[in-house]
Amino acid sequence: MKHDELDNLLRDTLKADVAASKSCILGMEDRVIMQLGERSPRLRWSQWLAQLAAPTRGVRLGQIAVVGATAAIFLFIGLALANRILPGNNSPGLSLQPVRSADGNQEVLFVMPALDAESVAVVGSFNAWEGTALSDLDGDGIWTASIPLSPGRYEYAFIIDGRWWGQDPLADDYIQSFGEYSSVRYIGRGGDGA
Amino acid sequence: MNLRKTRVFWTFTLLLLLPILGVSAQISLMDYEQGLYSIPVSNPDFILFTIELGMTQADFPAEPLLRLIDRLASHPGAVFEKDGILIILAHALEDGLPIEGLVGKALEGLARNVSLQQIEQGLSQLLILLAETRDLFYSKGIFNAPAGAPQAVPTAIPTLRFNQLLIHVSGTIGDFLESGGSPFEGHLLYQGMHNRLTMLQGITLLPEDVELVLDRIEPSDLTQVALVAVR
Amino acid sequence: MYRVQEEVSLLRASLQGDTGAWGEIINRYKDAVFGLCLGFMRNRADAEDVSHDAFIRAYVNLRRYDLERRFSTWLFTIAANLCRNQLRYRKNHPSTEQPLQIRGGTDPAQLVGAEDRQARIREALNKLPYSYRAPLVLRFYNELPYQEISEVLAIPEGTVKTRIHRGKAMLRDLFAEGA
Repeated sequence: MKHDELDNLLRDTLKADVAASKSCILGMEDRVIMQLGERSPRLRWSQWLAQLAAPTRGVRLGQIAVVGATAAIFLFIGLALANRILPGNNSPGLSLQPVRSADGNQEVLFVMPALDAESVAVVGSFNAWEGTALSDLDGDGIWTASIPLSPGRYEYAFIIDGRWWGQDPLADDYIQSFGEYSSVRYIGRGGDGA
Repeated sequence: MNLRKTRVFWTFTLLLLLPILGVSAQISLMDYEQGLYSIPVSNPDFILFTIELGMTQADFPAEPLLRLIDRLASHPGAVFEKDGILIILAHALEDGLPIEGLVGKALEGLARNVSLQQIEQGLSQLLILLAETRDLFYSKGIFNAPAGAPQAVPTAIPTLRFNQLLIHVSGTIGDFLESGGSPFEGHLLYQGMHNRLTMLQGITLLPEDVELVLDRIEPSDLTQVALVAVR
Repeated sequence: MYRVQEEVSLLRASLQGDTGAWGEIINRYKDAVFGLCLGFMRNRADAEDVSHDAFIRAYVNLRRYDLERRFSTWLFTIAANLCRNQLRYRKNHPSTEQPLQIRGGTDPAQLVGAEDRQARIREALNKLPYSYRAPLVLRFYNELPYQEISEVLAIPEGTVKTRIHRGKAMLRDLFAEGA
């Protein structure tokens, strides 16, 4: 068989297979939208609540209330955050596009909404679990830090007023380490590495 | 300028340049020796010998290891427990296994204020996983080729790349077991391994290396490794 | 350029939660994504499930998509990875669905001309290993350039070319066998 013949036959056959399966494609957008409508954002709410309910040493009532309030209004802050993360506008919001420096490191944004917190830090495999402080300069309860990281896989958690918080909504994955949750991020991919 | 002034000038210039040249930035065996003696460990010679072995590898985690030793030195726990942690690292180094994950795990445990005994248990399991995973790789014809050595097998991978695969496959099994997964859920272990390796494909892992592992390792293989670790 | 600009607007709207805009994106890409999945998976039920999943996952992860990159490449990469996962799963959990065959179960002896040739190529594709079939589908159905295929499958461009060349040679042999 000549090269052209095979190329055309391949093309035609693959197209014919799809054409014969039109029923599978029909209404796909409706089914997807319907499923998305039921779906909550990427947080696993049951796990957030479970972590809140877990007993910790010497936690005062006030701290529990702060953490509870933070979780309860997270959705509101998350929406505000989504507006700031939108690319392309000129406001000094958060940029979604990764900024790469000359040595291949990427400026990675760590974000934690923590209203009324006095200190927020991120600890992880990138800083020998020693803690990099986040800051909330405009006092809106959203703490951020930008850390240059080389491509790879990183495990981390936040410490909010001395209490560990292992589930970052912006994480790619979660694991359990020493019985507690840690977040995982993969740095270096432009799009989704699903 | 006369000769004396010239000498003084160049001496000062050199001293100013030293930090820029990074001469002081290198960690030497002496730094580790100092740290070990301040703990103090019971068998510093053996541990130092294995560290010296490990330092020849390009992926040796020099700074994190030093930080770990320093933090253990100032930790209020019992000396024999600190010993236990460092001996596990020494055995790994002696066996030619990459210690990056072990050191990171220990540092995390210290940061989380977990007991030294718990850290030692975690490291022990991780060491078994590293060794067993390496045996698995070998049994599947995935070998590491040390730099400079003749390539005995066509599928031999340079040690640095081999170590990365080892760390991530054993790490996946470790994470899975720690989150309460059963060793008998081989397909879930495989899924986890697949996800982790493909996420790193093109970033810190070469696609052909990932493909080699995913093609040759089966879910049941991972079950066997996991079973040894929980025995 | 107009179409690309329009697509960017739809993507921005989707990012803000406009599911109608996402519906339009799906409408534009469903043939391409389904075709990719059908080519990779070789059975309709799996292809439909994976295509559906790909659009869900793309929406959920949209905030991680870099608007500078070509959207189709990103979407196809998600679909290809999901297919790969599903194929691995299928190794131990075979599908009860029949692989793609001659339409309507027609007796092969009765097929003539073009239909017969398509049936034989279809059979040959079913037998081709995944690593050779995937680049062929992306080249001959999705009509992607080598560079994009390399990005979607995360393999070097040279490997893409080799696989396509060898894949076609294998197809030719299988086609001749089925005569």
